Amino acid sequence: MEAGTVIGSSVERKEAWDKVTGVAKYTDDFIVPGILHAKLLTSPYAHAVIKSIDAAQAIKSPGVKAIITGSDFPILCGVVLEDHPPVATDKVRYFGEPVAIVVANSEREAMHAVKLIKVAYEPLPVVGSVGDAVKSHAPLIHENLAAYKHAVKGIYPEPNTNIADRISIRKGNMPEGWALSEVVAEAVFKLPKSDHIAMETRNARAEIHADGEVLISTSSQSPYSVKKMLSQYFSIDEGKVNVKTPLVGGGFGGKSPVQLELLAYMASKSVGGRLVKIANSREEDIVTSPCKLGLEARIKLGASRSGLLKAAEMTFLVDTGAYADIGPRLAKSIAIDCTGPYNIDNVWCDSLCVYTNHPYSTSFRSFGHVSYTFCIERAIDKLAKMLGMDPLEFRLRNALGPGQTTPTQVKTTLSNLGNLTACLKKLKHDIKWYEGAVIEAGNGKIRAKGISCLWKTSDSPTDSVSGIFLTFNTDGSINLNSGVVEIGPGMKTTLAQILAEKMKMDLSRIHIKLEVDTQVSPEHWKTVASMTTFMAGRATLRAAEDLMKQLRSLAALVMRCPPEDLDIAEEKVFLKQDPTIYVAFKDLVHGYKYPNGNAVEGQILGRGSFIMSHITQLDKETGKGKPGPAWTVGAQAVEVEFDKTELTYRILKACTVLDAGKVINPKTARGLITGGMSMGLGMGSREAFQYDSEGRVLNTSLRTYKVMHIGEEPEYIVDFVETPQIDAPYGARGISEHGIIGMPAALANALSAASGAELDELPITPEYIWKIKGGQA
Amino acid sequence: MIPFNFDYYRPDTLEEATRAYRELDSRSLEPVYYSGGSEIISMARVHNIYTKAVIDLKAIPECNVLEFREDRLFIGSSVTLSRISEENPYPLLSKACSRIADHTMQCRITIGGNLGGTIIYREASLPLLLSDCEVIVTSSGSLSRVPLAEVFRERLLLPRGEFIVQFVIRKEYAAVPYVHVKKTRNEKIDYPLVSVAALKKDGRIRLALSGVCPFPFRSADIEDRLNDMNDSWGIRIDKALEYLPAPILNDISGSNGYRKFVLKNTLLNTLRTLEAMH
Repeated sequence: MEAGTVIGSSVERKEAWDKVTGVAKYTDDFIVPGILHAKLLTSPYAHAVIKSIDAAQAIKSPGVKAIITGSDFPILCGVVLEDHPPVATDKVRYFGEPVAIVVANSEREAMHAVKLIKVAYEPLPVVGSVGDAVKSHAPLIHENLAAYKHAVKGIYPEPNTNIADRISIRKGNMPEGWALSEVVAEAVFKLPKSDHIAMETRNARAEIHADGEVLISTSSQSPYSVKKMLSQYFSIDEGKVNVKTPLVGGGFGGKSPVQLELLAYMASKSVGGRLVKIANSREEDIVTSPCKLGLEARIKLGASRSGLLKAAEMTFLVDTGAYADIGPRLAKSIAIDCTGPYNIDNVWCDSLCVYTNHPYSTSFRSFGHVSYTFCIERAIDKLAKMLGMDPLEFRLRNALGPGQTTPTQVKTTLSNLGNLTACLKKLKHDIKWYEGAVIEAGNGKIRAKGISCLWKTSDSPTDSVSGIFLTFNTDGSINLNSGVVEIGPGMKTTLAQILAEKMKMDLSRIHIKLEVDTQVSPEHWKTVASMTTFMAGRATLRAAEDLMKQLRSLAALVMRCPPEDLDIAEEKVFLKQDPTIYVAFKDLVHGYKYPNGNAVEGQILGRGSFIMSHITQLDKETGKGKPGPAWTVGAQAVEVEFDKTELTYRILKACTVLDAGKVINPKTARGLITGGMSMGLGMGSREAFQYDSEGRVLNTSLRTYKVMHIGEEPEYIVDFVETPQIDAPYGARGISEHGIIGMPAALANALSAASGAELDELPITPEYIWKIKGGQA
Repeated sequence: MIPFNFDYYRPDTLEEATRAYRELDSRSLEPVYYSGGSEIISMARVHNIYTKAVIDLKAIPECNVLEFREDRLFIGSSVTLSRISEENPYPLLSKACSRIADHTMQCRITIGGNLGGTIIYREASLPLLLSDCEVIVTSSGSLSRVPLAEVFRERLLLPRGEFIVQFVIRKEYAAVPYVHVKKTRNEKIDYPLVSVAALKKDGRIRLALSGVCPFPFRSADIEDRLNDMNDSWGIRIDKALEYLPAPILNDISGSNGYRKFVLKNTLLNTLRTLEAMH
């Protein structure tokens, strides 16, 4: 790769060869002699009091070293609200919740002993939906809600209810908005919980050294949170907790929370600090570890006869399941972008984080956006239909643009928003909208297209940080050390590209440390929220500036000229007026040595640090505030072939046009967005937890929980608009999550157009279409 | 991870296999025959199967034949679904085998295992039920040849310690007109809402179903209704459905009402397609 052309090139990711040859190592690939194995006994009830636990027989079982129950570690954890015992104590609140941990010499012995533990339960009434949970006199899932410690500011649990938090948006004047609304669409939407289904199931190891040092290895997107939370919950000096994360086999938000690390630590603690591992089976990964939120929403949208949106009123009930985890922030994330990328002056929104007896929710690709976008984009299509307007034209007419405001009243600019109009126009061309949204295809089949817009900002903590260390090898090449976890999108290759571009040097001369070790890698908040390029990229640019300043300063000494006369490229510091006069990096970076042997300066070390700026908490009453640094907008379409008799369908095409700001690596970007689209289509067409009447999840294995498979994928069209985000590295916006956001909505809009039925729930199976069209069970 | 220890036996002959079974059974080791092993692995890891001894039939030559001898096709019970669909000696059977699980699993699942396993669909049985298949079974030290229908009703009914060695099908069935349709919830690779195999022989329609009831079946009553030329297709199907041998399945793959809707549509398409074939 030529220096200076690396941004915008489809470079191979640095770990590619290790991955395709199978050499790449993930957390559970390390086989350690003498390691102990932890296995969980989990709850067969969704809501029950634990009357007694009898482990007498299990502890005598061969190979068993320890059995841990909730009372051994009576702590409450939670990243927002501390409501969650790592192992259930007095009662269980979801099917699959850990009730005991068995530690044994082998996985087999642990699995055997788990079955010997006898637990007596007294079943409690199950809260099976958010709708039921918010009814007055609903059974309480957390009786002591008011007593829980708040881990962060700005959270408002409602005591003696199942409401963990409520976020309100009040913008404009609602009576005025409704007065201007000549046409009003209103509908109710329901989306089930589902799972991340990362290829690598979640797993962790823990060991406690004699000097008190705690070593954790984990498949995590948040190794620094693991460190901080272990330190806090178990009163260990933060410097004594070291967390290592090698490559991670897919995260999608599911590896952002801290769960198995706590259990692994407790297991190790119970056996004198010996090394213990805990690894989820697929079944445990689906129900015991946290999943994707469920959502019920009521949306009312008003527009003038001329097709301008005037008012929006919406209530979102986020199904956070048994514990809050990041749920309150998911409810907030939905609220801040609740209107979709449309200009609406009058907005009323209440977004509630609600407990149920379902497996608990955590972050999932797009942090709530794919869920509420389904609701708002279905409502937009309904309104367009009532107005008799083309749904794409209707969206164009209302697309949010510079100088307007978001639901939390942030003033939009081209830089902080991007260009949705350009995305829609490109989409119109790419999906051949001119063919018509619904076409008779013969043989009883219909071809139909549906569209959706999308937008997303980060909703990260206001003080999120990222840091970069750079060191030189003696040959002048650079080592890049960052706390970013490599979860699949080639993030560290992106950072290397940014560094190579800035230093005007060859990408192959930049070496990245793929593993994160919290003791030696500077913190990167969490590898989430599509914020890595922005945050770690900015830190990388600062670190490069730091290196260049030092290089120029030393070279100025050597070359006897002012530093401002010097420039840097191709691993040389050279005189601007005569580039043939230069000093090579290799002669500078480990100190400069004069001909007589004298040496000066020593190693050149670079550091770069970044912290979010100008982000605020939201006002409690109005929701006013700045949630993230900028948005990414886009438009998506899905084309289906629908069978009018059988009510089955095939997905023919899926298209995304995203305003990426600047595409740093086109092939990686396409891969990322295509992956998101595939996930979104899976969510739209098949993925859902199914429960029995007692709240037990029935489809806990991949035999019955279905994701999209190779061979079912449609043709993917991915296209970009590039409106730079001025404060982002080379103008590049976050794009990692966005492919998923509008897919379920676009699919539903296509199938609603094809079937003539209003499809307002997910997933859209042929049975669901049959039911909406009047099919009787 | 299989959370228990068990002994592994791999007999080379039929005689060794049955002798091993008798001996292990007498020691109360609860032996099970297997060939592919996919069901044992997937069930044992979630504590749904327990055994102290397994007898692997894969090495027995008779269990691995796949050949025509004179006017008969012989299929060993250890032949994998993928081998049947690739060698394609009996197109309807190949089609059915190629729609069971995914390709990786088809390379492991055997035809004997599909009929003998605990998963209720046993879709490989449908073409066999339609083609007057006979089976060669081990029977107290010797081999006997009996109609499949005698040892397979809803599921395999062999006495303890016996197993199917081969399936025997008349060659003419490889050339009859047939239709195979599998309908699933919304995913190609899944358990069936309805799996239908049908063929036309001597002017009569034969039809077998899986996914509709909690077992696969072929029903003379249903075939009589479907072959009643006095009625329209719609009426024939409605009448046939009155003879289902059990209530329609109602589970997480699909409700009974929806299954009935799918069944009717699928039957109509199947019969119309078959009618157009000669």
